[in-house]
Amino acid sequence: MKSVTKSKMIRMPLIGDVMMSGARTVIGIVMGLVAGGILIALSGVNPFAAYASMLRGAFGSLPAFSNVLVRASPLLLGGIGVAMGIKAGVWNTGIEGYMYLGAIGAAVVAIQPLSIPPILHVLLSFVVGMLFAAVWGLIPGYLRAYKGVNEVTSTIMLNYVAIYLTSWLVSSPQPLAEEGAFYPMSKLFQESAQLPILMRGTSLHPGAFIGIAICLLFYFILNYTPFGFRTRMLGSNINAARYSGVDTKKQVVFIMVIGAILGGLSGAIEVTGLKHRVYMEFVTGTGYQSVAVALLAGGNPLGVILTALFFAALKAGGATMSIETGVGASMTDVIIALCVIFVIAVGVDGRRRMKKKTAKAETAVTTEGKEDEHVV
Amino acid sequence: MSFDLIIDWLQATLRWSAPLLLVSIGEVFAERSGIINMGIEGIMLSGALCGIAICYLTKSVTLAVLVTLLLGAVLGMGVAYLTVSRRTNQVVTGLMINMLALGATDLLFGLLSGSRHVRVATFPTLFPKSFHSIPVVGKILFQQPVSTWVAFILPFLAALVLYRTTWGLNVRSVGDNPQAAATAGLSVIKIKYQTVILSGIFAALGGCVLTLGEVGYFASGGMTGGRGFIVMAAVVVGGWDPLRTAAACIIFGAADAAQLRFQAVGSVIPYQFLQMLPYVITVISLTIMVKRSRVPKTWGAAYDPEDV
Amino acid sequence: MVENEFALQMQDITKRFPGVLANDRISLDCKKGEVMGLLGENGAGKTTLMNVLYGLHQPDGGKILIDGKEVQITSPSAAIHYGIGMVHQHFKLVDTLTALENIVLGMPTKKAFLDLAPARERLMQLSDEYGLHVDPDTEIWRLPVGQQQWVEILKSLYRDAKILVLDEPTAVLAPAESDQLCQAIHRLTEEGRSIIFISHKLREVMEITDRVTIIRDGKYIGTIQTKEATQLKLAQMMVGRPVSIVRQPRPVIEKKEPILVMKDVNANDDRGVQALKNFNLTVNAGEIVGVAGVDGNGQRELSECISGLRKLTSGSITVKGKQVTDVVADPSFIGFIPEDRQKTGLVMDFSVAENLIIKDYYKEPYAKKNILHHPVIKKHAKELIEKYNIKTPSGDVKVRNLSGGNQQKVIIARELDAEPVLDVASQPTRGLDMGAVANVHDILLKERNRGAAILFISAELQEVMALSDRIIVLFRGEVMGVLDGDKADASTIGQMMLGQSPEVAI
Repeated sequence: MKSVTKSKMIRMPLIGDVMMSGARTVIGIVMGLVAGGILIALSGVNPFAAYASMLRGAFGSLPAFSNVLVRASPLLLGGIGVAMGIKAGVWNTGIEGYMYLGAIGAAVVAIQPLSIPPILHVLLSFVVGMLFAAVWGLIPGYLRAYKGVNEVTSTIMLNYVAIYLTSWLVSSPQPLAEEGAFYPMSKLFQESAQLPILMRGTSLHPGAFIGIAICLLFYFILNYTPFGFRTRMLGSNINAARYSGVDTKKQVVFIMVIGAILGGLSGAIEVTGLKHRVYMEFVTGTGYQSVAVALLAGGNPLGVILTALFFAALKAGGATMSIETGVGASMTDVIIALCVIFVIAVGVDGRRRMKKKTAKAETAVTTEGKEDEHVV
Repeated sequence: MSFDLIIDWLQATLRWSAPLLLVSIGEVFAERSGIINMGIEGIMLSGALCGIAICYLTKSVTLAVLVTLLLGAVLGMGVAYLTVSRRTNQVVTGLMINMLALGATDLLFGLLSGSRHVRVATFPTLFPKSFHSIPVVGKILFQQPVSTWVAFILPFLAALVLYRTTWGLNVRSVGDNPQAAATAGLSVIKIKYQTVILSGIFAALGGCVLTLGEVGYFASGGMTGGRGFIVMAAVVVGGWDPLRTAAACIIFGAADAAQLRFQAVGSVIPYQFLQMLPYVITVISLTIMVKRSRVPKTWGAAYDPEDV
Repeated sequence: MVENEFALQMQDITKRFPGVLANDRISLDCKKGEVMGLLGENGAGKTTLMNVLYGLHQPDGGKILIDGKEVQITSPSAAIHYGIGMVHQHFKLVDTLTALENIVLGMPTKKAFLDLAPARERLMQLSDEYGLHVDPDTEIWRLPVGQQQWVEILKSLYRDAKILVLDEPTAVLAPAESDQLCQAIHRLTEEGRSIIFISHKLREVMEITDRVTIIRDGKYIGTIQTKEATQLKLAQMMVGRPVSIVRQPRPVIEKKEPILVMKDVNANDDRGVQALKNFNLTVNAGEIVGVAGVDGNGQRELSECISGLRKLTSGSITVKGKQVTDVVADPSFIGFIPEDRQKTGLVMDFSVAENLIIKDYYKEPYAKKNILHHPVIKKHAKELIEKYNIKTPSGDVKVRNLSGGNQQKVIIARELDAEPVLDVASQPTRGLDMGAVANVHDILLKERNRGAAILFISAELQEVMALSDRIIVLFRGEVMGVLDGDKADASTIGQMMLGQSPEVAI
């Protein structure tokens, strides 16, 4: 067995590996779209017409595409936040909560008439928003790292807390609230605290471009800095990370807080760029969608850019489809979930098989048991 | 706080615990066999809609429950196929099942009726009307729908099955050491399928009880409100034991009931803070209990029958 | 009808894993009442062959005959049905269940509810019959390893196994327990049951078996009568060339400079059970201290305490006068080869180059001003690959794709290249073939001669005796005795491994 092993040292070249995973993703997405088409057909609408309408809604015109970019903004930032977690081996499913906190933080600054240049007003809103979210993210991060509380449960619980917190803050008589509004909402943001519109007649704000820039930044951080090295090591093998002197607990907190800051920024951009107010449920669904984005990208920041744009196109097109064909707008969420399910169902098995092959080929040494420390 | 309010709260506690209890039974078995079915939130949601829809269309509560159980089994089978046969990541699978269910229930509910507020008959009570007027217990116990009684009896049955039957022993061994179970001649895959399907069935039933046992209507946009995740927390807090998990569920149910009751009577505390209560209590109790629980050894890990 | 002489015949069994031919037309038979040895190096394909027999793997070719009739063994339950029992090298017991529960687990039954009373009676009867005593109501994880093995054997006998496979059964046994096992084996063969005894230890095979089948590199080499065999002949058949682990001459190092000093160290294992008890040890510069002992007697905890990965409950550890309080991840100070290379020592998804710097990635010259310098990292990898003869096409290849021996070289290169003052080598040769073992020994000896203090922890007594200047024997977290490496003999160490007080202490 040994001699065979040596001659087969390299089982799959690197490029092949990447192509395989790329191919699996594409196959999964196609299967998801087909399954979505079947569902559309079942609801009595011609799926081809529906998809055509979706395509038009996303890419049919410049304003349509600007809509895609607007919708991509929270997905890019939320997606990269979750992706950093995936790289470090934690599931940061609290993006919605962070977005609420970010929006609240931004609102605290943005409703004040400050006599400072707009750029500063906006930046200050961002900073306070990110700060609020960071504190929020510290809770599940600390609980996961030092108390062993599963971050999925804690972040999702905290999402609900964040929603009700927001609801309280924007109801009168709280200082943020708009008096006498028909629905609880914050005061309108000052004009100086609103992001510029980049294209006349659309709501295109710079959020998507900020998001893309941040994805590139994190690509660099992950691959070219000791911090990124540490993060990847933590995600690949926590025992080896500890053995190499990494303070794995601190690193987990860092990563959770970074995800929270990115989520906070995403929320701040959403309210300063698009909504210009904070109200309950302004981010519904973005949490799960961010997870889907990061997953489909395999945690790769460059992949996040692609998948975020893809899902944004689905969402923007989905809205058009909904209006033109009567298929509910929720169909987009269904399609996104189906895509991810198909991708993982096609993908994981192949990866495991490769892993097994090598494990088998090596030695009689077994690595029984998972990591020592359970997080529950 | 008035006496009536307390009675009212206790009654609501039992009612609001019922869905949690039912969902938790299945989840305990699934997790004991090593699979975290994180999709219970979504399956609950599907069960909630299914119960209402079938009841609305056929006017039969029995039929509604039966179809819901079937739907739960099918969805559980789906989760089992992904996590057991395809060995997908259990967190990812669960989250995506939830996302799928959220979207799909929205769509289907839209199709179901023009009117967005379908109200249907709820579960009958178990005891005749004459019992209902007995002071205190009449209100707390005898006015309860049949589902509440079932939900409170089943955890005992679940404990019996888990600790006293051959199948229960098999489930426990599969979660702790699947290789050992396999070498002893058990079919690990089959047992995992059984428990995950069971968790699907109970999750759907729990959802159905949420609508047919309590409110009598469905609201789109995630009316389960994270209860699936609360159950998952309860399972951890309860140390993967059916009865202790049930106790945790009742505590969370009490918090749920409290926020609704106090909201209704009005209080100095803003109602939003009451609404946060179940979630905050969940996180706090997780933090306190987590280190004391003994985790099934292969909890959340994929099992590969070729790994020997 | 003629009674068949053979209990089991496996003919031309072939088993392929993607990219690897694990079993290449291997044949093995076993008569009734016979002990058949299966001898081969780690990785020769013994375990794979037995997993085929037990229905855990399906063979790609060949056939299996039980009692002369060809059978298809598609699952462990089929194997049990055909009267095959197996005691795996890594026990297949559910830790959290009791011995009795483990024994009844998977037994076909019509009853829905557990009824343990008859099973208990039967178990007690079996224990007495074969002299393998265990407490039926103790949870497995509370039992000593030796008794866990008794549970495994009793589990098979409870199922009335006619053919019992013992995979490296003595690896976890102290010598006296091994004798107990031998007696049980004799009783079993007297009853006409057959035993397949898997081992890579020649002495045992010579003592216990009637015949031996030798396999090498997944191929069948031959079957011989044990009476006609010699250890040397078996070794040559097993390895394909004459080998032996011999004690190499070494220069005497006069000056004694204590490097590792452990004083009254107490520490717990992962379950919170005390693993090291009032442990005292000094390792000097230029000295190899070998730690002998049955696996699981505190070896893992010892190495983890020294490297700072495990917190002490009391006592102190100093290395060259410096107190160890936190994880020491500086290979120019302590080089630590952990016992589980894939789980602890390597990041399997990282490249060779990255794995070579997992302790130094943030230091110059690999990182400057918080930016990683990939060209420097690659160059460093290229140098070490050459220096330590790591067989890989380049430093960019994932460690996962290297063979076990080459993975170990990556760790050794990383841990020892910076010339640490203390080397802690925990089971560094486990799972390696003979050539790789010799290579590791050479490197450690060179380290010694350079002046490093070396703690060499191994479950292979032969290796400890060949390499150490001093030997300590570990038993249940305590030092049973200290011996001079030049004078120590195996039987004394064997006694100590069982917890008996030393006769020769130095």
